[in-house]
Amino acid sequence: MRSPLILSSFPRAILHIDGDAFFAASEQARNPKLKGRPVITGKERGIVASMSYEAKARGVTRAMRLFEVKKICPDAVILPSDYETYSILSKRLFNIVRRYTPDVEEYGIDECFADITGLRRPFRMSYHDIAEKIKKELDSELGFTFSIGLAPNKVLAKIASKWAKPSGLTAIPGRLIHIYLEELAVEKVWGIGPQTTAFLAHHGIKTALDFALRKEPWIRKNLSKPFFEIWQELNGNFVLNLDTSEKTSYQSISKVKTFSPASNDRAFVFAQLSKNIENACMKARRYKLAANGAALFLRQENFECRGMEIKFSRKTAFAHEIINLAKSSFEDIFNPKILYRSTGVVLLKLEEENEMQLDLFGRELLAQKMTKIYESIDAIRNKYGKHTVFFGSSFQANKFSQHLGERGVVPQRKQNLLKGETARKRLAIPVFLGKIS
Amino acid sequence: MPSDKYLEKIINFYKERKRMPSYSEIARLAGFGSKNAAYKLVQKLLDENILEKDSSGKLLPGRAFNSVRVLGTVEAGWPSPAEEELLDTMTLDEFLIANKEATYMLTVKGDSMKDAGIISGDLVLVERGKQAKDGDIVIAEVDGEWTMKYFRKRGSKIFLEPANQKFSKIFPKETLKIAAIVKAVIRKY
Repeated sequence: MRSPLILSSFPRAILHIDGDAFFAASEQARNPKLKGRPVITGKERGIVASMSYEAKARGVTRAMRLFEVKKICPDAVILPSDYETYSILSKRLFNIVRRYTPDVEEYGIDECFADITGLRRPFRMSYHDIAEKIKKELDSELGFTFSIGLAPNKVLAKIASKWAKPSGLTAIPGRLIHIYLEELAVEKVWGIGPQTTAFLAHHGIKTALDFALRKEPWIRKNLSKPFFEIWQELNGNFVLNLDTSEKTSYQSISKVKTFSPASNDRAFVFAQLSKNIENACMKARRYKLAANGAALFLRQENFECRGMEIKFSRKTAFAHEIINLAKSSFEDIFNPKILYRSTGVVLLKLEEENEMQLDLFGRELLAQKMTKIYESIDAIRNKYGKHTVFFGSSFQANKFSQHLGERGVVPQRKQNLLKGETARKRLAIPVFLGKIS
Repeated sequence: MPSDKYLEKIINFYKERKRMPSYSEIARLAGFGSKNAAYKLVQKLLDENILEKDSSGKLLPGRAFNSVRVLGTVEAGWPSPAEEELLDTMTLDEFLIANKEATYMLTVKGDSMKDAGIISGDLVLVERGKQAKDGDIVIAEVDGEWTMKYFRKRGSKIFLEPANQKFSKIFPKETLKIAAIVKAVIRKY
């Protein structure tokens, strides 16, 4: 029997809360017809975005292409993603956890970390009981299950939440860490990718415990800082703080849109790219950010991808400037003999917009004028809809729905509008679907 | 209207002295040369119910004395409703929704609950995660479909009851899956 890595149980009490097949499960929760059936979301993308446990059991994996899904699981129910509903449920997840602690890190749409250190006394409950109560509220109020991990830090909490998925609650107290790590392959640890796994394997490190037991000098010498932090956390220390700020700023903003059928029409594909640039810029302006560069890419029908990075002479969130710059890059990577299925843009190195500097050539004045124009454009879009005004270069992409044929299917929530709802604005309350008698 | 101006003066007199002016006082207030003119003005105000007379013929402040027209003259001095006055009001959202995170909605189809006042096309707000009590209207899962019925509990026996004689009660064979409890019905016209 190995000796424990640390002796105290919960010097800090960190929860990792993870929705079980969040998108697919929320579809099943609102329509009883779907319960017990293999449900898949992502119809509009042509690939699996999320699959229910029933689909997982049939061998369906994330990002699998839908025609493959139909082969291995012909009775699968394939639905278009209803991101509006998923986002509402995501907010609800965070808000329910915030009933217990304000220290919540919204880590993804379907997962979060929460710090419940020191809450045993006010709630008169053990950490385990608090976790259990949160789980009970999530499961019953959202209508599908969550898995929770309780541990002294984020890396271990993440291991714990995965330990008994779905609908598990696993606590890894400090003095039992080694028991869990012994059974865990090192590549299952959050943040350790295939490269590092291969490197560690060369040095005889197979399990997470092998890794945790390495001496500090060896770790410092052979690995970079993020892995040193993971090593510390595996040893029971609390190193990675929770980022509890609500997302108001972005390091990068990306907009990627798939269209079908695939196309090799130069103007059409560029229009898709142009539309993405417009949308990305609009989002940047909403957060008062401007980019210093952008990466553009075109994805081919066979999923191969070609991209280019462009640098700007000064930061901008004006779509027309980036679209102009994108034109020559587009010509470089576009090949009319190839069919494309999606385009994307990532705005890079974002900075606060108000730090604009005056320049020698009076472009600042022009920029002020453009700011006014874009403010008007944004105001019109806010009032009348995102695509009421757009650049001519995006016309071909705005003329049709993004997908022709079955991938153009709109989520049911958007098809059955209530009296007073519009295509743009709906009540922010999820609906029960299916037959109601 | 000039009589409004005179009325204002009469009101001010009444407010200050806590009594109604005599005819000669009214003449003086209005700047009339004679009591006769004051008499005519009073007649007019009597006709409009702004002034009244008691049994001995003395003037009284009339029913309309404190009504809209009178208020109009003092309204300017009143404070506008302060923020604090609105603190104790709630939005329709708050009124209808107790637990925001657990509230969902659905559109009713069919008329099995029509005697409970819920008809096809109504929008119902429902709450998940609450234990159903006898008499609650619930959304239950029956044979892969949602159904909305009264939740009935007789001893240990549980069943669902429609609010329409044309439908029959549902006695669950296994456990009854209650998804949510109905909290409000919304009907827009």
